[in-house]
Amino acid sequence: MSGIPCRLRCWPARYERCLLFFSSLGHPSGSGSIARSTGWRPWSSRLDSPMNVFDRKMKRRQKNWASSLPESGKYDYLKEEVGSRVVDRVFDIVRTFPLALDIGCGKGYIAENLNKETVQTLFQVDIAENVLKHPVETEIPTYRVLADEEFLPFKENTFDLILSSLSLHWVNDLPRAFKQIHSSLKANGVFIGAMMGGETLYELRCSLQLAELEREGGFAPHVSPFTAVTDLGNLLAQAGFTMLTVDIDEILVNYPGIFEVMEDLQGMGESNCAWSRKPLLHRDTMLAAAAVYKEMYGNDDGSVPATFQILYMIGWKPHESQAQPAQRGSATFSFGDLGNISKRMTKKDK
Amino acid sequence: MAAPRAMPRREVWSRTREKLRSFPHLMAACAAEASAYGRCVAANTQGSKDLRKDKCANEFQALKNCFTVNAKKAR
Repeated sequence: MSGIPCRLRCWPARYERCLLFFSSLGHPSGSGSIARSTGWRPWSSRLDSPMNVFDRKMKRRQKNWASSLPESGKYDYLKEEVGSRVVDRVFDIVRTFPLALDIGCGKGYIAENLNKETVQTLFQVDIAENVLKHPVETEIPTYRVLADEEFLPFKENTFDLILSSLSLHWVNDLPRAFKQIHSSLKANGVFIGAMMGGETLYELRCSLQLAELEREGGFAPHVSPFTAVTDLGNLLAQAGFTMLTVDIDEILVNYPGIFEVMEDLQGMGESNCAWSRKPLLHRDTMLAAAAVYKEMYGNDDGSVPATFQILYMIGWKPHESQAQPAQRGSATFSFGDLGNISKRMTKKDK
Repeated sequence: MAAPRAMPRREVWSRTREKLRSFPHLMAACAAEASAYGRCVAANTQGSKDLRKDKCANEFQALKNCFTVNAKKAR
């Protein structure tokens, strides 16, 4: 723990105030919040902000618990797969990145796939300390930092490459997180991220809703809210990224039943930590949900599918060398001439 | 003060987890009742039907009875 800055080692109660102090340093909009003692209340980065969806302390506890399980490796399949797909996108860019950052690194699912030719030094950031203590072996020199994804402790224009795999869907203030990522990037730097999309676990969500509606007469959210694809493009553009690419991937995993789905989600550290979640699930409702899940979505062999919709995003920090939109009126060819294109081509050859 | 929702003690969790572990076996034993309940719920969400509390209470009771009987047998 010796390398970790003192303010990040604060105990939970003071952790909130330490983060408040830190945020008011880095962001002028946070000034004034230090005067108010938040104590044990749910904490928001801006006191009047509606963006306090997730209990970050709870998420930290869940991730710590998940990584302390005896067989935590058996829950890694999804994160390993998504991590390798993110690294595929990094390899598509023919460039060597001297300094890279991995936000919400987990055990290092991205680092284990990278090589020294692509990334020379890697910083890994995560909110849970247990996870950082047992990283995966990698040939790249890495530095592990314990920090919250919403409050990156890095200077502006530091990194050539920022990566994030399956951790941004637990962030409260996503626009702000993107702005911080944008500022930490150097000009002509790139951000490649993967997060869960809106259709993730829709089978689980629907089964629980229907079961609760039938058994209890109403339902509360159990699956956490996700970002829609359309919103993601807007958020990235607002943060200042250019040359955006957002694509959707769906990973379907089959499980024996609803309890295995929930158990694996817990083991991955992906349990719900939204403030609006209902902590109690009656046994009758669980039984009803299991029956509904199997009947409505079950496969022929008795297993049930769970969909993970992954949104991959690539955004660049502007730089003069990047292709700019052409000036109005600079066209040399009209769409109306498209029908004659073969004639024009042969004329040119002659 | 602890977290807003107090967590039960560790022994309660391990007992609950043990019980949950037997759920899949019981589900397999009561597949027919589960399927009937699921069909009832699905049917009540189609078209203009409205799913309300206890619309499928009979099917659920059958499922629960099957579960209780099998759980007693397993013990």
